[in-house]
Amino acid sequence: MSASAVFVLDLKGKVLICRNYKGDVDMSEIDHFLTLLMQQEEEGLMCPVISHGSVHFMWIKHSNLYLVATTNKNSNASLVYAFLYKLVEVFTEYFKELEEESIQDNFVVVYELLDELMDFGFPQTTDSKILQEYITQEGNKLEVAKTKVPTTVTNAVSWRSEGLKYKKNEVFIDVIESINVLVNANGSVMSSDIVGSIKLKTMLSGMPELRLGLNDRVLFALTGRDKGKTVAMEDVKFHQCVRLSRFESDRTISFIPPDGESELMSYRINTHVKPLIWIESVIEKFSHSRVEIMVKAKGQFKKQSVANNVEVRVPVPSDADTPKFKTSTGHAKYVPEKNLVVWTIKSFPGGKEFLMRAHFGLPSVENDEMEGKPPITVKFEIPYFTVSGIQVRYMKIIEKSGYQALPWVRYITQSGDYQLRTNA
Amino acid sequence: MPYFGSEETVKDLKRALSNPNVQTDRLRYRNYIIRVIRSMTQGLDVSSLFMDMVKASATVDIVQKKLVYLYMVTYASRKPDLALLAINTLRKDCADPNPMVRGLALRNMCNFRMPGITEYIQQPILSGLRDKASYVRRVAVLGCAKMHSLQPNTEIDPSMVNELYSLLRDPDPVVMVNSLRALEEILRDEGGVVINKPIAHHLLNRLKDLDSWAQSEVLTFLLRYRPRSNDELFDILSLLDDFLHSAHAPVMAATLRLFLHLATAHPAVQADALLRVHGPLLATCGSASRELRFAGLCHVQQVLRSQPALYGNHYKRFFCGYSEPGYIKFRKMEILVELVNDENVALVLEELKSYCTDVSTELAQAAIAAIGRIGRTYNEKCLDILTGLLALKQEHIASAVIQTFRDLVWFCPKSSVAVCKAVEGCDESLQDDEGKQALLWLLGEYGEQISGAPYVLEGFIDSLKVELCSVVKMELLTAAVKLFLCRPAEMQDILGRLLHYCIEEESDMCVRDRALMYYRLLQSGVDETRKVLLGPKSDPSMTVLTGRPEEPVNIWASSFNTLGPLCGTVACLENTSAENSVQQLHSAEEKDGAEEFKLSPPEQTLRTEAIEEELSCIADAAEELNLTMGPPLSHEAFERLWLELQVAHQQALGIPRPAETLETLQAAFQLVKIQTLAFTRTDAVPWKAYMYSRAGGTLILAELLQGAPEESESIGNLLVSVKQQPENQQAIRSFFSVLTNVLQTLSSHGSQN
Repeated sequence: MSASAVFVLDLKGKVLICRNYKGDVDMSEIDHFLTLLMQQEEEGLMCPVISHGSVHFMWIKHSNLYLVATTNKNSNASLVYAFLYKLVEVFTEYFKELEEESIQDNFVVVYELLDELMDFGFPQTTDSKILQEYITQEGNKLEVAKTKVPTTVTNAVSWRSEGLKYKKNEVFIDVIESINVLVNANGSVMSSDIVGSIKLKTMLSGMPELRLGLNDRVLFALTGRDKGKTVAMEDVKFHQCVRLSRFESDRTISFIPPDGESELMSYRINTHVKPLIWIESVIEKFSHSRVEIMVKAKGQFKKQSVANNVEVRVPVPSDADTPKFKTSTGHAKYVPEKNLVVWTIKSFPGGKEFLMRAHFGLPSVENDEMEGKPPITVKFEIPYFTVSGIQVRYMKIIEKSGYQALPWVRYITQSGDYQLRTNA
Repeated sequence: MPYFGSEETVKDLKRALSNPNVQTDRLRYRNYIIRVIRSMTQGLDVSSLFMDMVKASATVDIVQKKLVYLYMVTYASRKPDLALLAINTLRKDCADPNPMVRGLALRNMCNFRMPGITEYIQQPILSGLRDKASYVRRVAVLGCAKMHSLQPNTEIDPSMVNELYSLLRDPDPVVMVNSLRALEEILRDEGGVVINKPIAHHLLNRLKDLDSWAQSEVLTFLLRYRPRSNDELFDILSLLDDFLHSAHAPVMAATLRLFLHLATAHPAVQADALLRVHGPLLATCGSASRELRFAGLCHVQQVLRSQPALYGNHYKRFFCGYSEPGYIKFRKMEILVELVNDENVALVLEELKSYCTDVSTELAQAAIAAIGRIGRTYNEKCLDILTGLLALKQEHIASAVIQTFRDLVWFCPKSSVAVCKAVEGCDESLQDDEGKQALLWLLGEYGEQISGAPYVLEGFIDSLKVELCSVVKMELLTAAVKLFLCRPAEMQDILGRLLHYCIEEESDMCVRDRALMYYRLLQSGVDETRKVLLGPKSDPSMTVLTGRPEEPVNIWASSFNTLGPLCGTVACLENTSAENSVQQLHSAEEKDGAEEFKLSPPEQTLRTEAIEEELSCIADAAEELNLTMGPPLSHEAFERLWLELQVAHQQALGIPRPAETLETLQAAFQLVKIQTLAFTRTDAVPWKAYMYSRAGGTLILAELLQGAPEESESIGNLLVSVKQQPENQQAIRSFFSVLTNVLQTLSSHGSQN
């Protein structure tokens, strides 16, 4: 990869901040970017790569910003995108929200970061934890002392600083599974899968060695154990701290954890899961007069479990008016700017069934524009439960000072890309 | 972009910066500098403050230093004389006890893009390369590359290059990778950094210590290395194995590319690697970032060119999400078309059908075209869907359906009956030029079967005055004349009016000339016209062997994981190869009988294997003579060349045509690196086959011909005509000997069995 320059533009194409890393592409080339993008958009042929002469723009959009990298080589495109997303990630960790205002307010830090993240078009230090050790927003408070190169920049273990100390040594483990479902208009499940991730919040002193045990099917098959439920994971991916060779040889997950929050691993399970919240909908549209919507939601999970903060988002025509709702539980709200009815149910026990009816008026003069058929989407969270049945069997923590540390485990299942197509 | 009051602002800042009271209050001083940078960021020209900023660089406050350096780098090229004054401060900072300051100063000094800077930065860079802090070494290494890019034509300093090569062994991984990057830039004219065996092995061993950016880049550099032995090759491959499952999609893709490249000579290993990454690749296709998802899809498309069956079961992953951007949906549809098989066809079509009514016109039309592509194999199902879509009476849908119909009947003439029935009465919903052209073509070609055809044409002719598109008019002329030939009674009057209008009133010369041509053609007699217009379009007995042959991995492996496939070059390639087979205009060879070429039943493959062994001996011989297939030649290109070139050599082989099935023949020829493009069906007389190969830098095209049985001398005697570009008799001789060998083997086998 090599990016000649990186730009942050506002939606009008004005350069908010830029950095010319290589000096081999004319910086004024960026003026063509938005024109070309608009042109593509009009033709309906938008593409994340835009070429102008020998210059290629690779761009992503984040809130009200475009992040653009220019190059004049046939470089590795996915790496450039990954870098742009890394920029977003780092900036977001610094400013909470990455948007035009935060760039303007923090341009000093942005310049500092751009300087450290990339040099001569090559990514350098991109780990935001390490960056945060020597580039801080509090830099404005004028501290002369804190200008040492952090040890992590040169450390053997690049993801963890030495000499950390905590009074109470604890690790919090979150097992989070997201369910992606796509249901056809006639009610058949087109695709469903589970994307899981194990997140850590580490508050441990020194350089601890951790070992994580899961009810991994391959591991159980290796060791000949076959009691209890096991899970077959696919596409398992680890944080760079995990020793891959050990996992490959005997499925042991052993590592020196990064300090603070991090994602230890992710996996995918491709088994067919029953949609945890099933939606049946009848949307009847009487032209020039009204739309009637009936939505039935059913919790298809264990009775003991409860889904929290359930949101069923039902699309309505953009010209609908005078909403009327009736719900058997929770409350429904019309969000006209998104053309949605959002039905919120704070707590949804398994096995229960709820009903929502909505009535909208339609203007007698019909909207000429054709409208798409957006699907119904559902959001929910079910704590203390994983669909796949994955379990943390143990977490061993060994540090040479020999302290005792406590691991805490939390399980949660949530909706990912959960879509049900409608007829209307 | 100067704006009102900008001069005032600059003056204010200048006054403040030179105020000794401000200079002593560090916080205030820095705040003014921040204001300078803010003005600079907003596009204000603050270059007149250069001197004051140089002064401000002498500070212990590192943030202030950074800002001042940034300022200097921005304006250095505009004020080179003043920038030289800053050099001293920077050089002093390069010797600062704090490595952070040293690195910072060195990096910014190297970023000054102005003439004459090199003499000042050379020394600091060289000492930076030996600095004990890796942070400084990282900067210094890239500094070498920057220095070179400032003076691209100067001689390369060999001692610096050596130093950089030795820094490949630096304990800091980033220094190591930066050295690679710097060497690559500096040695570009000599072909970039040299990756020899010790370096390659060193890099491979360090790979796991690197971050994901460095990993991807090192993997790309390793493409240059060729292992000496198979043992070494497989050692490397097993080392790379872990990285195929990297958490970072770019690393995975880079590893796959290296894997495919290293295993060029081992197709089985390549296939195995593709099989193993299909999970991770699928995962990138579902990645949260839409750009990475797009990149993943483009990669899958490349893999599909060689292994169309690999993703068949995962077709559901390529269903479009509602909120996905168009470019992803288009790619997904292209992939779905490739993935269709007997099991999933119903669901895929169901899914594509739901896209046909999408709000986005382009998407809907692309979905319709996709159904048409599937229709070449699964004819009836698709025709039903397409016909159903016509009933929606939507303008853009109807247009796309009609265009799809036109392409479909070209491929599958048997679908014409259903198409004709559907076309009836859909003329009103067509408004765009492409749709009209397609409809007119269908009316002209199949007018006999469409009862209302003359009336539709009449409608077009009546509104001719308001028609703007000349291509539509020309298509209308052709359609009207064709229809006149089969339905003269209904068409005579209409055609007369059309020709009259086009010749007398039309202002577009192309249309007028076309009309005149048809008019004179008709004058010379109906039979003549029929011969010209309704003559066979192509030799119906010549059919393409397979829709698109599976390409060897090596054809696309070199562009894998680069920008190329994302820019749509792949899509173009595919389109042309798909259309080629339509345009087989072998007008010279007129034949009747439109039977389809049928693939032989599978039991024949057993015999193929038996023959294979013998053939492999010939194949060895062939390699000595250097026959290669090279990049695939499209049917269109073959045909063009065949028509252009003269016969270089013609010879009767004295061998009868082998009695083997066409598949066996094709497989046999492929073994000796001769690619067959087309055959006539087995019992056709005269029997023909076209093939090509490459040898000694030339392209050899060949035709095998077995004449009709009544010409007694041609019985049992294959006539071979060879055309070549450029001429090379040696290559022809090799080609003949290989060809004769194969045919002899095959026919002796045929007689044994």
